[in-house]
Amino acid sequence: MSSELRAIGEALDPVFALSFESALDAGAFDALALRIFAFQFEHNRPYAAWCRRRSRTPASVRHWQDIPAVPTAAFKEVALVAGPAARAEAVFRTSGTTAGGARRGTHHVLDLSLYHRPLLAGFRAMMLPDRARLLMLSLVPPSSEWPESSLAHMIDTVMAAEGAPGSRAHAGVRDGLDEPGLARTLRAAERDHRPVCLLGTSLAWVRWLDALDAADERFRLPAGSRLMDTGGFKGRSRTVAEDEMRARYRDRLGIEPALAINEYGMTEMCSQFYDTTLRETVLDAAAGPRRKRVPPWVRTRVVHPDTLEPVDAGVPGLLQHFDLANAGSVMAIQTEDLGVRVEDGFLVLGRAGGAGPRGCSIAMDELLSAARGSPP
Amino acid sequence: MILDAYHLPGLRLEDVGEWSERDAGDGLTLRFPVLEPDHLLEIGAGLRAARLRALAERPVASIIAAIDAAATRLADPAAPLRALAEHALPIVTGYSAPMVRLILDRMTADWRRAALEQLVVSEFGRADAIDAFAPGMRPGVRSRGYGPELSLHILAGNVPGVGVTSLVRALLVRSAAIAKTAAEEPILAVLFARALAEAAPDLASCMAVTHWRGGADLDRAAAAGADTIVVYGGAQAVSAFRRHATPLARVIEHGPRLSVGLVGREALATPATARPAASAAARAVAIFDQQGCVSPHAFFVETGAPVEPRAFARMLASELDGLEAVLPRGRLDAAESAVIHAVRATAEFRAIAGDDIELIAGPGTSWTVIYAGDGAFEPVCLNRTVRVLPVSSLEGCIPGLLPFRALLQTVGFTGTGGRTAALAHALGAAGATRITPLERMPWPPPDWHHDGRGPLRELVRWVDLEE
Repeated sequence: MSSELRAIGEALDPVFALSFESALDAGAFDALALRIFAFQFEHNRPYAAWCRRRSRTPASVRHWQDIPAVPTAAFKEVALVAGPAARAEAVFRTSGTTAGGARRGTHHVLDLSLYHRPLLAGFRAMMLPDRARLLMLSLVPPSSEWPESSLAHMIDTVMAAEGAPGSRAHAGVRDGLDEPGLARTLRAAERDHRPVCLLGTSLAWVRWLDALDAADERFRLPAGSRLMDTGGFKGRSRTVAEDEMRARYRDRLGIEPALAINEYGMTEMCSQFYDTTLRETVLDAAAGPRRKRVPPWVRTRVVHPDTLEPVDAGVPGLLQHFDLANAGSVMAIQTEDLGVRVEDGFLVLGRAGGAGPRGCSIAMDELLSAARGSPP
Repeated sequence: MILDAYHLPGLRLEDVGEWSERDAGDGLTLRFPVLEPDHLLEIGAGLRAARLRALAERPVASIIAAIDAAATRLADPAAPLRALAEHALPIVTGYSAPMVRLILDRMTADWRRAALEQLVVSEFGRADAIDAFAPGMRPGVRSRGYGPELSLHILAGNVPGVGVTSLVRALLVRSAAIAKTAAEEPILAVLFARALAEAAPDLASCMAVTHWRGGADLDRAAAAGADTIVVYGGAQAVSAFRRHATPLARVIEHGPRLSVGLVGREALATPATARPAASAAARAVAIFDQQGCVSPHAFFVETGAPVEPRAFARMLASELDGLEAVLPRGRLDAAESAVIHAVRATAEFRAIAGDDIELIAGPGTSWTVIYAGDGAFEPVCLNRTVRVLPVSSLEGCIPGLLPFRALLQTVGFTGTGGRTAALAHALGAAGATRITPLERMPWPPPDWHHDGRGPLRELVRWVDLEE
């Protein structure tokens, strides 16, 4: 790892320690962002080439807003890493949800501490603002079985750092969700009045809730229990409204909607975003409207889908993130996710990726699956 | 302004318990009755009865005259229904106003008397095939075509007018028709029905047009009375209606298709010959914002001529840029724009990684040309995003297209000289169903073999009278 990346990591230390109520002031954010941009411009060759094509260089860029944001699709094509890819401490890949066995997005993380520190700071602030030490149960396979998943890595890291003894994954790559084991653990938690923290993908939750519905099984988890779901249903036919999911969490698990938190993250980013309701319930006794909180070391913009220019608050557009924790790869990320800015955060309105054009004009996925199904 | 986006002569509107209104933007509200399965059964029965009164014995010439009169009302810029179409279609579909005018001009021409008479003769070899038993090639046998009594048409929303053409074909074979419009374009078929009602109310009473939401029970009720179901749209819709069809019903599918263009050496001899080819290519991409089944995903361009494929790609880009002023790209939703940005980033980063790829892109997401030196075909995300692929000879396009043979439809060509027939054979064997000069790509003639089949012939049942 280069000494400059290590120095940047040290400079970020006090930023990762900031309270989520305090924003990093514009000048300080700019200084760090420009320093990271200069570092990435020097060491991340494909990104530098892409910036040069836009005539954006450390010499011409004066504010973080002018740093070119790379569409996540680029992570499928080249190693966007600010250093030797072979030296990466971790390599995460997006799941292969696109049809046709398309290439998968790959995020090389040069310095795992630049991943672990913001992820723990974010999780603590948004999921554990009461500093509770909870039994953590994951519906995601452990990273030992699924090393390329950033989500598995994140959950393992959180459980190791913050989980009470006994915290573990109740799923495996081969066997899927261990439903009986999970149910036993939750019954024991009910009996012992021991609150739990449940972590899983939206898809895993849907499947398990379906199973609970079918068996008409209900849990009444102790007060203080909480739940995190993540990911949408990108590339899947089934979509479930988030509100409906939270009603089901309450019905089947006894977890109040305010304590059911949606996490929004992506393989290509070291930082994550969480709903505000748990933190506000715990710290302020009452939650304001549900929205995603932006960590102090991240700036999130909403841009016009055509021009990629910023739009006003309240106007939907594509989300663009500037994540200082991504110092080792690319800080400025252009997502395919639709969102809208609200006062001190944003809402995710949908994940645009994988959507196809309308009509008989052939959704791409459909085209490809039709092509695969046709005789050779 | 409220637009009643339905034409339901067979239904007593007082039976409709609920109405739905959809805000289409720009002050336009679309209103639909919320139909129950029973309504659809009632509509179907009403259409069958109306057919017996007004259509079953009606001379085809009279049907053509009525459709022609309706087409006039949608073709004439001064006519109120045309004005309504020009106002509402850009709002609802997102197509630009000039695009809507172009589509209306070209589509309505297909519904005029001369085009329809030609269609009937092309299909049946004679004008009276539906009207009378007449001798054909077989000695001692006279035959006559009978269309379905009631056909159901599931319309797609990508190209306005295609659904009307489907209804016109049904009327020409004396079929009553019920059309389920697409949520994305629920208007033009209704306006056509109104125009027909002005010209020939009894004929318009044989046709019902409206939109209903999903609902397998509604689709099944609509399918229950239909002898023939014509389905436009994605593979899901097609397979759903194959399930809903009654065992004796015929299902005619116009599922997803893709098209490409070929540019041969003869068109690349000088910039002056290449420019018109690039212009025709750009129009083929721009028209319908590339959302038509006839819209090209890629151009295969021959190498070795003075104008090389890369130069052709730049010409194509400059033509697309010019078209943006006269035929602007329509409105996209965020997902479509995001896909275009992703496709561009993919191309650019492949180029940065050393692949022989060049990205040429217009402002915003307006148009995108990707020159891919490896010549590998892949479908694009549409909305004026097109690939230019060099090939050492035009037959070189075939291997890349083979995986898509079930979907291949139109192949446009230019500069193929004396090789056209041989190429056509290779393309036909590879799945193409229409091979046409580049400039005609967007506008298949009314009597084309649509997806390889006779548009009227596939609707009729032949009755032989042996004497």
